Amino acid sequence: MIPDLVPSLLAWRPFIDPLDAHGTWYLLLLPLVFFISMVWKAVRLPSLENYWRQVLLMTAQGIVGMVALALTSYLLVQVYVRIASGG
Amino acid sequence: MTQPQQPHHEPTRLSVPALVLAWLLPGAGHVFLGQVRRGVFVAVGVLGLFFSGLFVGGIDVVDSGLVVSNTFRKVTGQTANRQVTPDGDAIWFVGQAFTGPVAFVVDVVHQHRFKVIDPAEPRVLRSARPDEGRDPVTGMAVIGGKPPVTKSLARVNEIGTLFCTLAGLLNLIAMIDAGWNHRPRRGEPGYAGGAT
Repeated sequence: MIPDLVPSLLAWRPFIDPLDAHGTWYLLLLPLVFFISMVWKAVRLPSLENYWRQVLLMTAQGIVGMVALALTSYLLVQVYVRIASGG
Repeated sequence: MTQPQQPHHEPTRLSVPALVLAWLLPGAGHVFLGQVRRGVFVAVGVLGLFFSGLFVGGIDVVDSGLVVSNTFRKVTGQTANRQVTPDGDAIWFVGQAFTGPVAFVVDVVHQHRFKVIDPAEPRVLRSARPDEGRDPVTGMAVIGGKPPVTKSLARVNEIGTLFCTLAGLLNLIAMIDAGWNHRPRRGEPGYAGGAT
């Protein structure tokens, strides 16, 4: 497995070529939510005393929200639509 | 009967230098106002998001489809006045442009160093196909060789584009916050130092 990866890693140029993350793309939502929380809390909080706590809380809320939305979509498509169509 | 005490709000004032600095370098507007910590957090968040997007999706995710004719002539030696780039993502670049000059620099590098001139129609500048290379002198597409950049596709392209566009839109919020700021500034009563 490792010898197979070597040629593609050697050819890969960071920030120019895309990352080969097609199988793990959903993990990239974690840094996305974290950076969004960092900027949002930096702008919105009146005081930065509990800044990191607030950032981590918002990150967790974002992740839980996305998982809930994904589950809801799954249930809607796989269960509700099947029941509604009489299948 | 006593009246309930109204919360005290500082008046909001426009600061043009803070607004402009916030666009030039994310977070610099807040640093200019004396809110150093806040500015550093904005900078790390916005630039972290933008460069994470480039890291994930490659340079292909920043693609305005716009070509600066003078730069194009200088780089490629082509004399065509106007170029057409049919595969640009201009609508996404509108959001990315709020990240500041860094987005424009990345876009110019993408257009002029990684796209190829179509040999059949020299006015068309496009991404190289998998079987094409790029002539380093003329910028023309040549059959055979390796494309100058691997085209990002599917989820990786979508997420990379999303990262870079959200970086710009978040910086727009930070620009508005720096430009119309109600927190006490350096030298004013209530200013709590660079930790704010």
